[in-house]
Amino acid sequence: MAASISGYTFSSVCYHSANSNADHEGFLLGDVRQEETVSISDTQISSAELLQVVEIHHHDPCAQLFSFYDYAGKVSEESLNSILKDRRKNVIGWYRFRRNTQQQMSFREQIIHKQLTQLLGVPDLVFLLFSFISTANSSTHALEYVLFRPNRRYNQRITLSIPNLGNTSQQEYKVSSVPNTSLNYAKVIKEHGAEFFDKDGVMKDIRTIFQVYSALQDKLQAVCGEVEQSERVKEKIQEEVNKLKQQIALRKRKTAEEERRLREAQNADSHSTPEENTEPCEGSPLSGITFPTPSAPERPSTSPNPPSYTDLMSQDDSLLPSSSPPTSAALLPRPQAVGSPGHPTPGPTVMGLGLGHGLGLGLSASSNPVTTPSTPYLGNGDGSSSDSLDRQAAGQEDDDDEEEDDEDEDSSEYENLVSEGAHLPMVSASVLAQGRPAALSPDGDAHGSQAT
Amino acid sequence: MNNMSPEVALHRISPELRPLLCSVVRNGRVGLDSTNCLRVTDLKTGCTSLTPGPCCDRFKLHIPYAGETLKWDIIFNARYPELPPDFIFGEDAEFLPEPSELPHLVHWDAGNPECLLQLVKELIQQYHHYQCLRLRESSRLLFEYDSLLEDPNYGRNMEIYAGRKNSWTGEFSARFLLKLPVDFSNIPIYLLKDTALDPGEDVALLSVSFEDAEATQVFPKLYLSPSIEHALGGSSALHIPAFPSGGCLIDYVPQVCQLLTNKVQYVIQGYHKRREYIAAFLSHFGTGVVEYDAEGFTKLTLLLMWKDFCFLVHVDLPLYFPRDQPTLTFQSVYHFTNSGQLYSQVQKSYPYSPRWDGNEMAKRAKAYFKSFIPQFQEGAFANGKL
Repeated sequence: MAASISGYTFSSVCYHSANSNADHEGFLLGDVRQEETVSISDTQISSAELLQVVEIHHHDPCAQLFSFYDYAGKVSEESLNSILKDRRKNVIGWYRFRRNTQQQMSFREQIIHKQLTQLLGVPDLVFLLFSFISTANSSTHALEYVLFRPNRRYNQRITLSIPNLGNTSQQEYKVSSVPNTSLNYAKVIKEHGAEFFDKDGVMKDIRTIFQVYSALQDKLQAVCGEVEQSERVKEKIQEEVNKLKQQIALRKRKTAEEERRLREAQNADSHSTPEENTEPCEGSPLSGITFPTPSAPERPSTSPNPPSYTDLMSQDDSLLPSSSPPTSAALLPRPQAVGSPGHPTPGPTVMGLGLGHGLGLGLSASSNPVTTPSTPYLGNGDGSSSDSLDRQAAGQEDDDDEEEDDEDEDSSEYENLVSEGAHLPMVSASVLAQGRPAALSPDGDAHGSQAT
Repeated sequence: MNNMSPEVALHRISPELRPLLCSVVRNGRVGLDSTNCLRVTDLKTGCTSLTPGPCCDRFKLHIPYAGETLKWDIIFNARYPELPPDFIFGEDAEFLPEPSELPHLVHWDAGNPECLLQLVKELIQQYHHYQCLRLRESSRLLFEYDSLLEDPNYGRNMEIYAGRKNSWTGEFSARFLLKLPVDFSNIPIYLLKDTALDPGEDVALLSVSFEDAEATQVFPKLYLSPSIEHALGGSSALHIPAFPSGGCLIDYVPQVCQLLTNKVQYVIQGYHKRREYIAAFLSHFGTGVVEYDAEGFTKLTLLLMWKDFCFLVHVDLPLYFPRDQPTLTFQSVYHFTNSGQLYSQVQKSYPYSPRWDGNEMAKRAKAYFKSFIPQFQEGAFANGKL
């Protein structure tokens, strides 16, 4: 059990006591509360400690001795009520002050205490004993105080702590839980409280902060929705990409077969015409996937100069289907990727998400000059762009695609992709011839026209 | 202040409380041991230190009880002298008498000077009951107590102090203080008047200390009031038999009582016997008696003449006469010893029997004188100088 008394109450009791010319007594009003401390340590799960804390808030001095008891020490309940009135329920103990006596409960005090315990119904009624000891020559006076709980058999003395009695510059000033019952204080707070508190008694600042918090939460919810939507769009696109991939693979297989057949037929016809182009072409069918980086620009067998795009387009208008699949219609010059020496650049490239552009541009052939070597198409990166697609949910990066394509041979798959078997212009054909196995027949047939 | 004389205490106490303390200090005897009166120490005041004195209103009262001294604090309020006092019972923190058993507290009358003394007596009574209750912790001692209680001779004059259990050994000790019902009234006054102190009541107290609950270590002690002690012949009178092991008080105490009674009887008888002796000598020797102790009848001096030889006979009667033989000292009136004293001879053994009455003793003495004197005379002439 612990007990505390506020400094001002204690000094008030001392003041009353010291100014009396005889013994002095009174009642202690306050609160008793239970504190439970749960401590967790390594050795045990938890241990709860119950501590009873007695707080003395006020005191009620008696005007004279024997005011509520008689000579025999019998307590009169009427007198008690007339002294305490409605404060009776707040009584947690009583006190006595006597000079120059021992710190021990006297005979009458014990008798009174027993009766008070019963009458007031407080099982652990405390008794605060003050004794004032003076030396013989009155040079030193000591005020001693002891708090008893006489209803216990053992540990009858409790330490009474007075918060902030000491050097508060070194320690923190403790705020006690003694309620402030001053009427003046309550009045002032009531008057000025409206500036800080709203009608519910909650501090205004708290409410404002809460509003900010709510707003943030709402915004977050909205963003979540947007994220969800974009995720769905991305999913759809991803599906389409996968489908196209499958188509590409299918076509690749088909063109590969056809080229093989053609080559076999060609070889049978013309053994004597070695061509730079063909050699690598020959080699290339074997390495179906790998594309050696040719130093020389690819040329269509027919002409060393790359035909202009318009020529190509004019020649093989039919190559380009009017309704080209989105993938093949990219006729825009692709930005040159760094470090890409000369991948066969189909003028039109398939761009992952730029399909719309490609489509449109691919169809209008004249608007797009194509410089074969200078615009190496590093593949739309479908092979890679799919990767890049994967990597970039929201947007495509052309740059990324091209960079990927350095290593990614699959980009040439798109070269093979001729929109529905359309034959590409010569440029594309040459490109195809360079790297693609069976991509382009020497006669300029651009099978599996590069994707445009 | 310790060992404060009562007068000093009375001087320092607040005037309104003085009468109360007066009766306590001057006349206060409580309990069996009335030889030790109540003592007051540690006078303090409950007023502010600036109050001019005398204003002491609280003090410690030392009360002898069962061989112990109780030190109780008595607290008054000088500013309210009509109010009854409060008590702190020292180390007996568990002693809490019932106020209804203290009529002088319930009906406290500050105007009655005896009120405080009476209240203290009532408290002592309650304290006695409290101690008797504590005896219940030991069945053996409780038995002792109960058996004594039944005997009206001892039951009413008993003080019990049940000591605390020794916390180390768990032993329980108790002390019984019993007033022995011995009648000292017939002791000759002269014996009792010899003490310097005011004798007060003549008591013999037997204190029996039980150092353990099983009564294996029992230490009895007899206390006599100073006059009785003197009357019975000093500290040798205090020899009592040891407590028999396995015995009990109800057997032992009467034993001691009887012993003491016998001693007292002896003394009384001795007195009478001596008186008889002296009377007989007076009648036999008539004018030969020089002087005698008329109070205690312990001495007698005779001046006798035999064949013109005068001599003195000093008779010293011992305390336990007639058991013990009187001493006869013959003294020559003529002869001196070298040291300037009268030549004398002491005779301790001569024909004597305690069964003779006074007359017989006188006659025999006379006969002895006659037979001894020639010897003495020769001796005196031979050894003494004129």
